[in-house]
Amino acid sequence: MEKIILNKLPVPTFGWLKVNSAERDAAAFGTGEEREVLLADGSRAELSGGRSVFEVTAAENEKTSAVIYISGSEGKDLTTNVKAAAGAEVKLVQVYENSGPAIGSVNADIAENAAFELVQLYIGGKDTVSGIYADLAGRNSCFKADIGYLLDGDEKLDINLVASHAGKKSQSEISVKGVMRGSSEKTFRGTIDFLNGSSGAKGAENEEVLLLDETVRNKTVPLILCAEEDVEGSHGASIGRIDEAQIFYMQSRGIPVDKIYELTARSRIAQVVSKISDKDTADRVNAILTGGEEDG
Amino acid sequence: MKEEKTQVADIDRSLYDFRYEEDERDYLGSGITADIIKEISDEKGDADWMREFRLKSMEIYNKTPMVEWGPSIEGLDIDNIVTYIRTKSRMNTDWNDVPDDIKNTFEKLGIPQAERESLAGVGAQYDSELVYHNVRKEVAESGVVYTDLESAMHDERYAEMIRTHFMKLVPPTDHKFAALHGAVWSGGSFVYVPKGVRLEIPLQSYFRLNAKGAGQFEHTLIILEEDSYLHFIEGCSAPKYYEAGLHAGCVELYVGKNATLRYSTIENWSKNMYNLNTKRALVDEGGKIEWVSGSFGSHVSYLYPMSILNGRGARAEFTGITFAGEGQNLDTGAKIVHNAPDTSSYMNTKSISKSGGISTFRSAVTVNEKAAGSKSAVSCESLMLDRISRSDTIPVMDIRTDKADVGHEAKIGRISDETVFYLMSRGLSEEEAKAMIVRGFADNVSKELPLEYAVEMNNLIGLEMKGSIG
Amino acid sequence: MSQLLEIKDLTAGVEEKELLHSVSLTVGAGETHVLMGPNGAGKSTLGSVIMGSPEYAVSGGRLFFDGEDITDDSADKRAKRGIFLSFQNPVEIAGVTLSEFLRNALEQVTGKHLKLWDFKKKLRSCMEILGMDASYADRDLNVGFSGGEKKKAEILQLLVLEPKLAILDETDSGLDVDAVKTVSAGIDEYKKRTGGSLIVITHNTKILEALRVDKTHILAAGQIVAEGGAELVDEVITNGFEKYIKGGK
Repeated sequence: MEKIILNKLPVPTFGWLKVNSAERDAAAFGTGEEREVLLADGSRAELSGGRSVFEVTAAENEKTSAVIYISGSEGKDLTTNVKAAAGAEVKLVQVYENSGPAIGSVNADIAENAAFELVQLYIGGKDTVSGIYADLAGRNSCFKADIGYLLDGDEKLDINLVASHAGKKSQSEISVKGVMRGSSEKTFRGTIDFLNGSSGAKGAENEEVLLLDETVRNKTVPLILCAEEDVEGSHGASIGRIDEAQIFYMQSRGIPVDKIYELTARSRIAQVVSKISDKDTADRVNAILTGGEEDG
Repeated sequence: MKEEKTQVADIDRSLYDFRYEEDERDYLGSGITADIIKEISDEKGDADWMREFRLKSMEIYNKTPMVEWGPSIEGLDIDNIVTYIRTKSRMNTDWNDVPDDIKNTFEKLGIPQAERESLAGVGAQYDSELVYHNVRKEVAESGVVYTDLESAMHDERYAEMIRTHFMKLVPPTDHKFAALHGAVWSGGSFVYVPKGVRLEIPLQSYFRLNAKGAGQFEHTLIILEEDSYLHFIEGCSAPKYYEAGLHAGCVELYVGKNATLRYSTIENWSKNMYNLNTKRALVDEGGKIEWVSGSFGSHVSYLYPMSILNGRGARAEFTGITFAGEGQNLDTGAKIVHNAPDTSSYMNTKSISKSGGISTFRSAVTVNEKAAGSKSAVSCESLMLDRISRSDTIPVMDIRTDKADVGHEAKIGRISDETVFYLMSRGLSEEEAKAMIVRGFADNVSKELPLEYAVEMNNLIGLEMKGSIG
Repeated sequence: MSQLLEIKDLTAGVEEKELLHSVSLTVGAGETHVLMGPNGAGKSTLGSVIMGSPEYAVSGGRLFFDGEDITDDSADKRAKRGIFLSFQNPVEIAGVTLSEFLRNALEQVTGKHLKLWDFKKKLRSCMEILGMDASYADRDLNVGFSGGEKKKAEILQLLVLEPKLAILDETDSGLDVDAVKTVSAGIDEYKKRTGGSLIVITHNTKILEALRVDKTHILAAGQIVAEGGAELVDEVITNGFEKYIKGGK
């Protein structure tokens, strides 16, 4: 069995926490010939198995948006290369609605005044290892990520996001919202790296995790690395159940506790879904989300 | 202005490369031999169990690889330290031999003449006898024991208690330097507070440069029985100077049911020191550990006091500040393990990086399956004073129950020009303005300290800030 | 009357943008000047430049105070000379108490060591004038202060530091009627005690009621476009700035 090391934390920490990387058996994921797919503006692609490399490119001052569905029960391995030239805008939506194992990575080069917006939804997934690397090389480059996940049973999700600020006045904004049930396991590593020379850069990162069963296992690892003085960085995380004051407020309006959790869980994910501007995709996601739930 | 700058060590470029050395597996071991360890045991008149313990620790030390994260300790000359242990050199340090920068520090800190004189006796004469005996007199009747660990071990009243607690919380298998500590430990304090006894005045332990290298591998063991209270202050007004550059002390704190222990430290080691200290507290039901920690000195530090909340409702509070200046790589933080229901933890840290200094905040909060109803809040803030320094924040939260409430927030930034201008517009110089802002930034720690130490810490900040402009 | 502040052909701005164009203005000792103008005219910029804010670069002209060229002085040197700026948005500084800060500032400005007891007495008496609760002295500087409390804390500093020239940048904005009265009383007290000069940047007359205005300057688009006596204030209040804005109706 060939072991591969994925999702390396940019700066390692205490070994016993087992967060420094994710080790997997390569054979369980996508195998075979690698397909290369060029995604033009407005395209939707679907990957249900095997290995694929997607290219999403926007030339100077152009806009490109694309959607990729990751579906089916087969193992898969996908790489998405994003190139946003000066002044360009790229929006990428990735919906993981698969039941099998998957390795995914997004590598983005963001030039001067360019913006890259990433929306990722992980709805289930047996074992997903996902890396997101945004290179904010250009001055005023901008990276925005909205990530949502909904895990149940023995599903596993491992994310490693790195926003690397090289450009002056570059900006990143990372928002992650998750709901965990059953004995699902999740690790989210989020790193904002201010390189020397990135003066005026700003980076903010936030993760909210709602834990709904006592057997869940959540790891949150939000790093800020800083080698520049004139920057602003922040991260926040809140993990656990719903705030008691909020529960009381909603209860006082007549909603029973279990409904409150259902409602909150759904609205968390809905906040991420709302970032999907493509209507067909949003409909498809909503259909999956409501289909999986009891009639309410 | 120039001569007021604090000591400048050569910056080892490898420090900046540490993150690329993840796979480094250095076996530093071979330097320490069974003969040396036996010699130490003979010298100290160790009991049989301790003789075995030291030898076992040595074996573990030789087998244990270096950690694969954190600042480089390449510059640490282990052979030299081993030699140091072998010869058991009596340091006999004369005040006149203390380097000028440390002497000047004392002057600027305004350490009273009397205290300086007692420090001048370091090695030959020095001890904090005065403080020690004063306290002892007041508290002895209540059954409190405060003595040095070595003699307590030879006292039949405490021997068994020490044997059952010594390095049980920090076993030699914990990491390489814990093993080294187990093999060559020497000196340190033993405190026992009986049930129901609440000490209103703090016990203070000043480290001392006495013979046999006691300071470098000192062991502090504190046991608090049910319903007791103690404030223990470590180090503080004595910046220490050693020939060798390694400090691998160990602190083990046992906090009984409903007892509270406050453990305050201000470390201001000389800037050639590798500080690889291990501190750990085990907190029983309803008990509380409060850490107050200021790290100013050392060339390299690895310091993460750990709190294990083992009884229902146990609590931990950690308040810390780290100030990394030129040539310093200070990797500090805290670890908290929630191991029982309804436990809570609160962490509030600040770090400052300046003149090429590197400060890293590193933490781990673990909420186990058994810890339903637990809460944890972590807040860390970092300040960058220039663009040649570095500041990293590396927290981990590992949550294994849904019935938890875990919050974390971190911020990094600089002193805004607007704030400096505001203060300058009221007459403060740029340097004073910045020092004032940094002092305010460090307020979380200074207000947790007894007044005299808070004043001293503020002076220390003032000193570090001097010469930082232009 | 001798000249306290003399601004000669001052041109200043940020990076690539010039905000003040050849502004000249003179304030005599003991005089009260009012600076008015539409939003974005450069009033606050002028106040900040007089105080020596590093945010703005002076590209032309000189500033004189008490006959000495202060154009290259840092803000603290100007404060020591006796210039004070009441900030529109005072900065919050965590961990530093109002009392600690002000004592420090006073020692800097006067160059004299002050006994803690004497300082506390002085601080308390000034706080009383402004109706400030004594507890504010031990609170972190401006942290968690309401808008009104921040403005009062600025005037408190004015009273304690007793500068020769105080620039009040919209000290009355956002205050309710009672608070304006309190702040006015504080300014009045400053005048009485020190006979110092004032430059008041304001939009309304409430704060000016108790003051004898010597001169009014209208600033528009970074230039002084009109000057006059106290009557100009009323004129502007009634008719607005339109006639001073280039290309205005």
